[in-house]
Amino acid sequence: MIEALWHNIDYVACVVLFCIGLYAMIAKDNLIKKFIGLNIMETSVFAFIVALGVVEDGDAPIMGSGATPPFINPLPQSLILTGIVVAVSTTALALTLIIRIHKQCGTIEADELREME
Amino acid sequence: MKRAAVIVFLVVVAIPLVLAMADLPPYGSPDSPAYTHVGSYYLEHGVEEAGAENIVTDVILNYRGFDTEGEVTVIFTAMAAVLAVLMVAGGGTAEARPLPTPPSVVVRFIVRVMAPLTLMFAAYVIMNGHITPGGGFQGGTVAGAVFIALTLVMTEHDVSHLIPHRPERVLQAAAPIVYCAVGLLGLTLFDVYLGYPRTEEMALLRTAMLVALEIGIGVGGATVIATIFRTMGSDQ
Repeated sequence: MIEALWHNIDYVACVVLFCIGLYAMIAKDNLIKKFIGLNIMETSVFAFIVALGVVEDGDAPIMGSGATPPFINPLPQSLILTGIVVAVSTTALALTLIIRIHKQCGTIEADELREME
Repeated sequence: MKRAAVIVFLVVVAIPLVLAMADLPPYGSPDSPAYTHVGSYYLEHGVEEAGAENIVTDVILNYRGFDTEGEVTVIFTAMAAVLAVLMVAGGGTAEARPLPTPPSVVVRFIVRVMAPLTLMFAAYVIMNGHITPGGGFQGGTVAGAVFIALTLVMTEHDVSHLIPHRPERVLQAAAPIVYCAVGLLGLTLFDVYLGYPRTEEMALLRTAMLVALEIGIGVGGATVIATIFRTMGSDQ
């Protein structure tokens, strides 16, 4: 089992990154830090799915003259391109809402906001 | 106390995940299920069926074109939501205010020299997305980054001239508009929404449709990124 884990060390790194992001989301009070944590979690998922498509000694999936198989799986890369754009959209909207909260309440610390209610 | 509880929770989350990672097919194995079904089909038939040498572009614009159309709508909707939340839909209404710390002469000069070159690179990435690594989203992001860098060194007044005023709304919606146009073209010519020609004689039309989509996505993406950044910055 340790050997399998060592061979899949890229996947384990993604789990570690995921936990770092989750920690930032739960433990931090600052809303911007929370969303940076969310972004770290998203990045870990993206890295994990792209790593699933890697093939030993694979080339980029671009067929032209001089392209030789094996090629890396193109499907995860396409799906993650979609995912990244959606992540950017949610981040933009979240930051905008944080700006509004700061204008309305004067703070972006979650615990202070809770006391205000 | 709270921190200890969070760390215990994270360990509880991490252990099943790590155990699952040990059971996955080995990293880089060509026999993994992800590689042996649809992925290898795309690699074998992508060029002849979809028309672009870059298989990732084939998947994005052809095999999963509907998905990408939804995606450009998502990013456009996000921009609309940002404008709605900050309520500066008119654009350029914020009064000019000096930057907190004016950037140094060196930074200003370098950004101004690099901007046209980087924009040229962005155009290259967008136009060659079907034969080289790149495409509309990648090139659009590079162009958007140029706008953001210029926003950081220019005054509010100059920034408002970066995106031409009259076609601004159209440019922001460029990606969904071009997608609908190409989709309807496919509907009229081939009876399928977003249909592409499949014969060799019409390969030129197919490439033209792909490049049109890439340009639409690139222009729309760059404008949306620039608009979101400017809206966030100009409203205090």
